[in-house]
Amino acid sequence: MSEEAKNAKCLFSEEHVRLIKENYDDWFKNCLRDDDRAMEGKYFTHSGIPVKLIYTPADTEDIHYMKDLGFSGKPPYVRGVYANMYRGRLFTVRQLAGLGAPEDCNKRVKYLLDHGATGVSILFDLPTIRGYNSDDPEAEGNVGQCGAAVDSIWDIDAYFADIDLGTVSTSIVTHLPSTSLVIPGMYFAVAEQRGTPITKLAGTCQNDFIMETCVGSAPEILPPSVSFRMQCDVVEWICKNVPRWNPISFNGYNLREAGTNAITEVGIAVANAIATAEELIKRGMKFDDFAPRMSFFWDLHNDFFEEIAKCRASRKVWYKIAKERFGAKNERSLLMRFHVQTAGVTLPSTEPLNNIGRSAIQGLAAVFGGCQSLHLDSYDEAYSAPTEEAALVSLRMQQIIQTETGVVNTVDPLAGSYYLEYLTEEMTKRIFAYVENIEAMGGLVSAVESGWLHREISNYNNKYQKDIETGAMKVVGVNFMKSEDANITPIEVFEYPETYRRQKAKLKRLRKERNNQKVKECMKILREKCHSKENLLPYCTDAVKNLVTHGEIAELFREEFGLWPFPLIS
Amino acid sequence: MERKIRVVMAKLGLDIHWRGVYLVSQFLKDAGMEVIYLGNKFPEQIVEAAIEEDADVVGLSTLGGNHLTLGPKVVNLLKKKGMDKIKVFMGGVIPPKHIPLLKKKGIYEIYGPDTPMEVIIKGISDSVSVN
Repeated sequence: MSEEAKNAKCLFSEEHVRLIKENYDDWFKNCLRDDDRAMEGKYFTHSGIPVKLIYTPADTEDIHYMKDLGFSGKPPYVRGVYANMYRGRLFTVRQLAGLGAPEDCNKRVKYLLDHGATGVSILFDLPTIRGYNSDDPEAEGNVGQCGAAVDSIWDIDAYFADIDLGTVSTSIVTHLPSTSLVIPGMYFAVAEQRGTPITKLAGTCQNDFIMETCVGSAPEILPPSVSFRMQCDVVEWICKNVPRWNPISFNGYNLREAGTNAITEVGIAVANAIATAEELIKRGMKFDDFAPRMSFFWDLHNDFFEEIAKCRASRKVWYKIAKERFGAKNERSLLMRFHVQTAGVTLPSTEPLNNIGRSAIQGLAAVFGGCQSLHLDSYDEAYSAPTEEAALVSLRMQQIIQTETGVVNTVDPLAGSYYLEYLTEEMTKRIFAYVENIEAMGGLVSAVESGWLHREISNYNNKYQKDIETGAMKVVGVNFMKSEDANITPIEVFEYPETYRRQKAKLKRLRKERNNQKVKECMKILREKCHSKENLLPYCTDAVKNLVTHGEIAELFREEFGLWPFPLIS
Repeated sequence: MERKIRVVMAKLGLDIHWRGVYLVSQFLKDAGMEVIYLGNKFPEQIVEAAIEEDADVVGLSTLGGNHLTLGPKVVNLLKKKGMDKIKVFMGGVIPPKHIPLLKKKGIYEIYGPDTPMEVIIKGISDSVSVN
C-alpha cells in the first residue's frame, strides 16, 4: 500500500463525507422543526462538551482508524489494554468489604469470595485511615464505622484468617501515603509469617497524596510535599520488592466524588502519575521499572457515553505520555489499567431501590469502557456501609453483566459509534489541555499546596448544587418525579458497636505482650529516617513486626513533619 | 440594621467528607448569614469556637458514623457552659432510625442527603427567631 493510501483519512472516502454533509444540511433545514433547530447548541455532556442532535461519519472524518483507534492490546490502546480483553480475563469482581473489627470483616470477605467475588478489597475506618488507634481520644465515635479498625499487625492477620494470601488479589484501600507506609507492610509481614513469599503476592494499595491533602479533610494533615514523598517511597519500595503488586492507584474516583467533572478526574490522576514518575526518575529508577505497576481508579458517573469515552480516552492519553514524554520501552508501561467504582454521589437516599438501576447502568458503562476490575455501589449508599443483602445484589449485578448480556464477548463493542468516537477524541484533547495547565502551575503538588485544587472542587460543587436546586440537573425521586407518598423502604443499617471495646482490649494486651524496648528502638530509628532521604517503608515494616501500632507511627509522622492547614477554612 | 445570623459549621471529628458542609456554608452565606467554617474539629473545640464567635447556630457534618457519639457531646458541652440557647443542627449520612434518638439528645434538626438548600436556610432562620 502506498504511503498516501496508508495516511489517507479512510474511514469514509472524501466524496462520501461530502455527500453526508450535504444531506445533513438538507435534513437540518427540512426535517427538523424550528424548535429542534433552536435547541441545537444547547445540549452538553456533564463536563461541558457540546452534544449535537445527530452524529454522522462527517463528525469523525479526521479519525484514522489505525493511528487513532487501532486494535485492542496495541497502541494507542483506545480499544483496550489487552488483545483478548474479557475473553482472556474477565474484569475482577472486586466488591469492598470493611466494617467493624477485623474478625467481622473476615466473615464478609469470605462471604463475598464464597459467592463468586474474584478479588478482595478492604476498607478501613476513619481512625485507621487518618492514623489513630482505636483507643485514641480522636477515634471516639468512629471505631469500626464505615470500615474496619486496624491498629496493629494482629488486625491484618485476623482480617485474613484462613485466607490464602498467595492466591487472592487484595486491594488495600489505604487512601493516604502515610497509611500506605504501614498497612501494606503489615500484609506483607503476615504473608511471610505464613510462609508465602512476598514475590507471590498480588494486589494494590491506594497510596494517593491528594487523598491525604485534598479529597479528604481531617483535623491533622501532613504537608502535601511530605505526603508526596511518602507516596513515592511506597511506589519505589514495592516496585523493587513485590513485583506483582500495584503500589499506587491514582485518583480518579474519590476526587470525582469530592466534586469534579470527568476531565478533571483524569487530568489530576495523570498529572499525579507524571509527578510521581519524575520523582522516581530523579531517585535513579527507570520509567519501565515502575510504570507497568502504576494503576488508576476511575469513577463511573451518570453521563453514559461521556463516561465510556473517558475510559477510552484515558488509555490514549497515558499511552502518549508514557511513549512520547517518558520514552517507555517496555510495552507494559504503556498500558493504563484501571479499577472502576460506580458513583456513590449519584445514589440518593430517596427511593433507595432505584439505585440498583443506577449502579447497574453505570456498571455496564464501565464494562463498555474496558475496566480491569469493578465495584458496584450498593443501593443503601446514602445510609451506611452495605449490608450483606445489598452487597450481594451488587455482586450479582456484576455477574449478570458478565454472563447474561453477552457484552464481554467482543472487544470494545461500541467502537465506531460516531458519537462515541467524537467524544473520545474531544475528551482526549481536553484532558491533555488540563494536564498542561497543571504543569504550567508548577505541577500537581504546587497546585494542591496553593489551595487551587480545593477551590476548583468547591466551585464545581457550587454549580452542581445550583443545577439541582433549579432543576437544570434532574435527579429522579429527588427533584424530579418526587413522590410525596413514596414508600420508605426500610434500610437495615450496618453496625458493629462492639468494635471499640474489642479493639481496646486487644491494644491493652498488645502493649503488655510486646517488647517495649524494641518498640522504643524502632521508633527512634524511624524518627531519624524521617529527616533523611531514605525510603521509610522498610523502617515502618520493622516497627509493625515489633508490634508498634499504626497510631503510634502516624503520630510520629505528625510530630516529625508538622501539620499543614487545610485550605478554605475560615 | 438587623443582626446577621451567626453560624459555626464544622466537620465532626475525623470525618473526611467536606463537600456538603462547605457547600452548605456557602449557601448560608449567600442567604445573608455570617458563617464561620472550622474544618475538622472535636466537640470541645467546636463549643469553644461557638462561644467565642457568639454563634446562634452550630452546624455539624458527619458521614462517618460518629453522629450518635459526638453529636450529643456537643449539645451537652454547650449545656454545661450555659450556652444551650445555641441550636445544634446536623447533616450528613445519618440513618433515619437514629434521627429521633438524636433529637431526644438535643440535636435541633437533622438534614439528610438531598435536603434542598432552601429547607436548610429556612430551618436555621426559623430556629433563631424562636429565641
